[in-house]
Amino acid sequence: MNTLRVVFVGGLTSYRALFNWISPWIFIPHTLGYPIFEILFFVYLGRFAGVESDRFFLIGNAFLAIAVTGMFGMGHATAGERRSQTLAALLASPANRFAVFLGRALPSIVTGFFVATTSFAICAAILGVHVPLSSLSGLAIATAAAAFSCTALGLCLGALGLRGRNVSVFADVIAACMLLVSGANVPLEKLPGWLQTISSGIPLTHGIKAAREVANGASIAATSDLLLKELAVGGVYLAAGLFMLRLFEYDGRRTGSLETF
Amino acid sequence: MIPAILTGVRLHMKQASRNPFDLSGVIVWPILYASIAYYLLDAKNDPRLLLSASLGAAVMLMWSLVVIASSGALEQQRWQGTLELVVAAPTPLTAVIGPICIAGALVGAYAIGATLTWGALLFDVPVKVEQPLAFAIAIPACALAVGMLGLIMAATFVLYRASFHLGIATQYPVWIVSGLLVPISFLPDFVRPLSWVLAPTWGFRAIQEAALGGTPWPDIGMCLVLSLVYLAIGGSCLVAFEYVARARGSLRLT
Repeated sequence: MNTLRVVFVGGLTSYRALFNWISPWIFIPHTLGYPIFEILFFVYLGRFAGVESDRFFLIGNAFLAIAVTGMFGMGHATAGERRSQTLAALLASPANRFAVFLGRALPSIVTGFFVATTSFAICAAILGVHVPLSSLSGLAIATAAAAFSCTALGLCLGALGLRGRNVSVFADVIAACMLLVSGANVPLEKLPGWLQTISSGIPLTHGIKAAREVANGASIAATSDLLLKELAVGGVYLAAGLFMLRLFEYDGRRTGSLETF
Repeated sequence: MIPAILTGVRLHMKQASRNPFDLSGVIVWPILYASIAYYLLDAKNDPRLLLSASLGAAVMLMWSLVVIASSGALEQQRWQGTLELVVAAPTPLTAVIGPICIAGALVGAYAIGATLTWGALLFDVPVKVEQPLAFAIAIPACALAVGMLGLIMAATFVLYRASFHLGIATQYPVWIVSGLLVPISFLPDFVRPLSWVLAPTWGFRAIQEAALGGTPWPDIGMCLVLSLVYLAIGGSCLVAFEYVARARGSLRLT
């Protein structure tokens, strides 16, 4: 029961703290405005290049919106605690670490899901892209799977935040690489073989592929292997993130470096 | 005031050259955007188009670094509690913030080298500059104009404490409207007048025309004219917004 309280009450409190420093009037346009213009940018680039359809870029970049919120939300959780000098107090508490950080992950997942679906709907209306109503449930499942795997990767970044001072640089570089490697903007078959191998082991790739197949009329069952791969990738990152959290917390205590800016 | 500006530009260029965030931005982001453009535009098999994409990706980064540098610097000073001291100093705020923007744009100019090298090595993009003198002048002219546009943005950053997020949010809209990777003719008609008042449009055209062989001088001239206009607008906004922030007592709020 206490673990659940830490997850939900702690998560809600940390999410509310977000609005202590950023007004919803800035937070909402920023979280929605960025992905909407990103989608439009790549759709027009695709039209100019004569490669793939508007729907291809719409789905790919709506999923990237999940990556941004999930990864950065989790990645900045520890950095934010350190910056406000509450990290040591948090880690000194006897609360279950998994519960503490899962509590911070849940709002990121929900935000990522909200941002992806809203920006998808707005851009579909702007660009005149039609997606059959029957495929919406499949798209929602693929979105949820991708949100989970991105947040799991964010947990790894958050753990690195216990060790490194400027994890946002690393998160920024990974987010940039995802633009290319996840298949969101470049068809995977156009990438070199070694890059395709990397793309199969990162979040988003399988989720985006599943979503595109669902939008083209495939059933959820037909894409279940892709969805399972996406969840499996997320599971691996989640396990790695939890291991890294434990390792770096121990190391941070040992070297007294938790509060280092 | 001139020594303050020159010292500021030098100082912030040094800082940005040692900041891992800015350095990763200079190296990774333009290369990735250029790579996406190469993979997509390769279908058209036009080397000049790929060279143009390299330059467009570099100017994209130039704008990003200007908004990130100016908004990030102000946010940093808020956190460190030094923003009030900067505002209280007798040096005009324009002479403090202007160099941050110009330095960001000049560091962004490194990206031109990064994308051209990357394109040449991995994608066989021919790097041949038709008018080297105009190219060498177009780059600082573009950096100055983009930096001065950043000054107008920075004025709003003085007023709002979530400045960094506002800055980040302007990246894609400016990239789209300026026609950096996608020609403006591909965009809706209402975008064209917007593109005329944005420095990256003219800065990119100047660099592109100089590299591919065209008439870069009118575009370089537009960069200089826009720089003066932006300086007048940005300077006035800074004075006004600084007064509002003092009146509200919101400078220090983090």
